[in-house]
Amino acid sequence: MQVRVGVYICRCGTNISENIDIDDLIQFSSRLENVAYVKDQPLLCSEDGKNFLASDVAQEKPERVVIVACTPKEHEKTFRNTLLRASFNPYLFQMVNIREQVAWVTADKAAATEKAKAYIRAAVKRVTLHEPLEKKEIECNTDVLVIGAGPAGMEAALLLAKAGRKVYLVEKNSFVGGKVARYEEVFPKMECASCMLEPKMDEILHDENIELITSSEVVEVLGYLGNFSVKIKRRATCVDKEKCIGCGACYEPCPVSVRNEFDYHLSDRKAIHIPYTGALPNVPVLDQGHCLRFAKTDSGMVQEALNLGLITQEEFENYKKQDCTACQEACMFDAITYDKQDEILERNIGSIIVAIGFELFDPSVIPQFGYGKIPEVYTGLEFERILSQTGPTGGKLLMKNGQEPRSLAIIHCVGSRNKKHKEYCSSVCCLYALKFARLAEKHAPGAKIYDIYADWCVPGKDNQEFLDSLKEKKNIYFIHTNLPLSVAVKQNKDSLSVSCVDVLGKENPLAADMVVLCPAIIPARDTSRLSEMLLITSGRDGFFAEGHTKLAPVSTNIEGIFIAGCCQGPKDIQSSVAQGAAAAGQVLSVLVPGRKLELDVITAEADENSCAGCMTCIGLCPYKAIMFDKEKKIAVVNTVLCKGCGTCVAACPSGCLKGKHFTEEQIFAEIEEVLK
Amino acid sequence: MGKPKVAFYWCASCGGCEEAVVDLAEDILKVVEAVEFVFWPVAMDFKVKDVESLGDGEIAVSFINGAIRTGEQEHMAKLLRKKSGLVVAFGACAHIGGTPGLANFVNRKKIFDWVYFNAPSNDNPGKIIPQEKTKVEVGELTLPEFYDTVYTLDQVIDVDYYLPGCAPPPDLIMKAVEAILSGNLPEKGSVLAPDKALCDTCKRKTTKPERASIKEIRRVHEVMLDPERCFLDQGIICLGPATRDGCGERCINANMPCRGCFGSTSRIEDQGAKFLSALASIIDMNEEEEIKRIIDSIVDPAGIFYFYSLPASMLRRRLDI
Repeated sequence: MQVRVGVYICRCGTNISENIDIDDLIQFSSRLENVAYVKDQPLLCSEDGKNFLASDVAQEKPERVVIVACTPKEHEKTFRNTLLRASFNPYLFQMVNIREQVAWVTADKAAATEKAKAYIRAAVKRVTLHEPLEKKEIECNTDVLVIGAGPAGMEAALLLAKAGRKVYLVEKNSFVGGKVARYEEVFPKMECASCMLEPKMDEILHDENIELITSSEVVEVLGYLGNFSVKIKRRATCVDKEKCIGCGACYEPCPVSVRNEFDYHLSDRKAIHIPYTGALPNVPVLDQGHCLRFAKTDSGMVQEALNLGLITQEEFENYKKQDCTACQEACMFDAITYDKQDEILERNIGSIIVAIGFELFDPSVIPQFGYGKIPEVYTGLEFERILSQTGPTGGKLLMKNGQEPRSLAIIHCVGSRNKKHKEYCSSVCCLYALKFARLAEKHAPGAKIYDIYADWCVPGKDNQEFLDSLKEKKNIYFIHTNLPLSVAVKQNKDSLSVSCVDVLGKENPLAADMVVLCPAIIPARDTSRLSEMLLITSGRDGFFAEGHTKLAPVSTNIEGIFIAGCCQGPKDIQSSVAQGAAAAGQVLSVLVPGRKLELDVITAEADENSCAGCMTCIGLCPYKAIMFDKEKKIAVVNTVLCKGCGTCVAACPSGCLKGKHFTEEQIFAEIEEVLK
Repeated sequence: MGKPKVAFYWCASCGGCEEAVVDLAEDILKVVEAVEFVFWPVAMDFKVKDVESLGDGEIAVSFINGAIRTGEQEHMAKLLRKKSGLVVAFGACAHIGGTPGLANFVNRKKIFDWVYFNAPSNDNPGKIIPQEKTKVEVGELTLPEFYDTVYTLDQVIDVDYYLPGCAPPPDLIMKAVEAILSGNLPEKGSVLAPDKALCDTCKRKTTKPERASIKEIRRVHEVMLDPERCFLDQGIICLGPATRDGCGERCINANMPCRGCFGSTSRIEDQGAKFLSALASIIDMNEEEEIKRIIDSIVDPAGIFYFYSLPASMLRRRLDI
């Protein structure tokens, strides 16, 4: 069957014509089967060239078009749009790259001309097998789910809300602010962290476009870009946030006292509590895991409370007999009800930003640091709480015995930058270690501060100056070691001894009252659960994998799901906020109210009549676009998600998956003609 | 008008395809009733000259089994083609080359060296190998030429239909015969079997997890095979996903994995390559060295992936020998 193919050759000024015999190409091409005409142009991508192409195609009415020019990466889109102007289906067109692939790389003119001929022959053969493809559009939801209300999540939520988007901000804790809520001051300018954060937190609480859902976690996500439906599980906190004014009258009478996890168990809290003074939203949480009403008297909390000596035998008997209502009685606003159950909220959204932050590597894994065994060895986050005015010591630098330390050692790279634990640099430890030194110097004047570091990692504005300013302090001693793992902490009678080998190979025995470790930053515990639920990939180190290290730092493998902050990798507050803003920008550009979502045309297609349901393809799709229809027992491609990468097409062992525009017939035709 | 004339011939084959006809059991009587056999060397006494004396196209249909590896086989295939209205490639060897096609990994010389000189059971002090022409007292004896390469039937003659399988199962044979007798035939060139992969009807499909993942590859004699569970899920190479359905899962039911005798579906160019690509997709390892270790543990990969289909594949044969 004859197909009318029109061939257009671009000379690209002299770029192509200088090294390829265009007249020879014209003669050759016009003799090829199906070719109806061949025309050449000096510069097809110029305005004149495009106008010529559009009017000539309208006039000649070819059934297929081959354009022989430069790389499709540069101008395939240009020519597709031009052909569209001539009401010509842009997928009935094939581009031949004789500039980058021939003229610029093949020096000999005769050889280059022959090579170009082979490419043209292949394209002419291929294009006759092309099918017209039509663009599809779907309606989409532009609301956004943001998971995690730390600096990155808050920034994203606020920007999106400002742009008029409805945002559901889900936070697993009862408060917003993330880890930063625990800090007293931030490097390098020693700003007050809460002063910095509070206005933002306030905005989050009062923005009408933001629904803040605290004490909650996302438990199910279905759907795809523009059409996700999610389920969020909200823990029953038993306190009505509309009625509660945050007066705090309920804590005092609560008979249960437990260690406060917000302070890393360095302080106590009640079963009904607010994690720290100033937490926002300022609404207490009734912790059902510890509240006597919810504890089973036989085996649970009350017995434990008795065993721990938290309550007397008499109290124990009382609690066994009656339900405690101490907090309810104390509340003047009827804000406390005990019959609340965990609830599941359902929301429909179009895109998701994941900003779930980080955790610290558990230093007790490396026994010589003494963490977990020696009381005065702390992690960085624990030390943040000790330094905090809302922390266990009210902001005074005190040891567990209530005395001020006279010496303190800060150890860098605990579990970072070694092959045994975490290979990467945790990026912020040097700077927060310097902050600790600076604060320790302020809080315990005259104390000796030892900073045991391996290499300085202080890039960015003001940071080097910060380091230099501390080097001038006479009470701060910097000890350079090549081997952070050679550092060992031992408990002596009066103080701790810290030994390390410095860069000169010299043993440095130090005495310190307190030791602060800077453990590696690792992915938050929920990372793998969310990775599985959202189908987004994680890297070798466990952090969520970005779309492209340099060019797509907040994208993921799943369209419509973005990542921001430390869940993508260790970083400081500034970079986390920048990523939050970047993710918001991505969301704003990918889904626009009133605009339909244009779908990729070149996708895979499953032939339901020939699929045997072998499921080879199911786990392969990097975009999770293939589902297994359990009823029909066949694979189904969701063309909204499919990017046309062809992975499944290559793998399908019985050939029922077809890659549109890259069918086996088209590819083989092309290969055969090139090799002829 | 007489009954339609039918010929049945064998080339490079094992005789299993002839056996398959006998396996029709009482149905064979229906066939005999409906047709007139004019040539069936394995069962009836006809000579080549009987075929030669028939007019062109006089045989309604010739069923030819076996691959083509000698000059005589090619000659007979061409003769039957000339005399027949329809030619059906019968069985895996005629269809896609079959196990004789594995000889394409070597060549004639290597085969002869082994068979006539090097095999441990040989006693051939005179180093005698078959000659195409041998002079003896009474004249010249001839043997057909032994080709370097084994061919599928459609590589030497035009083939109208294919009956796949090693050997084709009786139900497909009967269906084909009925279709030919009634003239109710599909498009020329069709394989007379379903065009889906074997997994479609495999009973073990329900046990296959959505994301099959292989951490170790095992051979059938190395493990106690679970008779219910998907072979691939047990780490056993099973060509089912890349093989056409219709065999009735005879091997699977005998607790043996599919080796691919039905060839691929119509949409696939190269069964072995396609299966390799599918297998690579379900290796559950991310570390390159681990993946290599698993793949390297496959014994005779080319022989497994191209168990039946080497002559019909894009590879056709090994060249570097």
